[in-house]
Amino acid sequence: MPTFSTSRFGTIEYQDDSVIQFPFGLPGFEEERQFVAIEHTASRPIVFLQSLTRPDLCFITLPVLVVKRDYRLAISPADLKSLALPCDRQPEIGTDVLCLAIISVAEGRLPTANLLAPVVVNLKTRVALQAIQEESAYSHQYPLLDSRPEAECS
Amino acid sequence: MLVIRRRAGESVLIGDEVEVRVTEIGSTRVKLCILAPKDVVVLRKEVKLTREANVAAAREAPADLTGLAARFRAKQER
Repeated sequence: MPTFSTSRFGTIEYQDDSVIQFPFGLPGFEEERQFVAIEHTASRPIVFLQSLTRPDLCFITLPVLVVKRDYRLAISPADLKSLALPCDRQPEIGTDVLCLAIISVAEGRLPTANLLAPVVVNLKTRVALQAIQEESAYSHQYPLLDSRPEAECS
Repeated sequence: MLVIRRRAGESVLIGDEVEVRVTEIGSTRVKLCILAPKDVVVLRKEVKLTREANVAAAREAPADLTGLAARFRAKQER
């Protein structure tokens, strides 16, 4: 099994068919084309998107439906085509696609999720892109938790 | 800041080399045609916001996220 040395997890093993391909990278990281999704029991429901070319690049993400239970996808026809998905309807989250919101977690600030541009993974092909939603009112800085951490968590 | 009214088919010029033409006006969207030299970057603003959000997200992630994860779980169960 291939291995990769990462900053966050040390050396990880992964299967070739678990690699998520980003043909266009992500905005700001256009050269990063291969990632793996990593989950840990202790940090559930967080999904880590670890680059397979840059050891220090690991996005913290959450399934969009965890962030917002009634989240509705509005992927552009061009992005649907790039994902090899039918252009006449939006894909079903969980059935057709995995849909993850990238989380910003900075010291001293409340975490936010980018709901404007979720990462959408075609579950059949494992091809993915960060899909900027069309005519969507979702924020790129959607507040995740509405209060400061309670004493026992800080 | 300049605020200006335009009809479909009319244009605005920005400098000598950039032209923004309104080609279609719908009920919720307008279609714009942008003529600019190759070295001028034309982007939807959302792409820039997403790039900035990605760069910040990649830089700032703390090592230990178990506390945060527990709070997300608690929120899910509510």
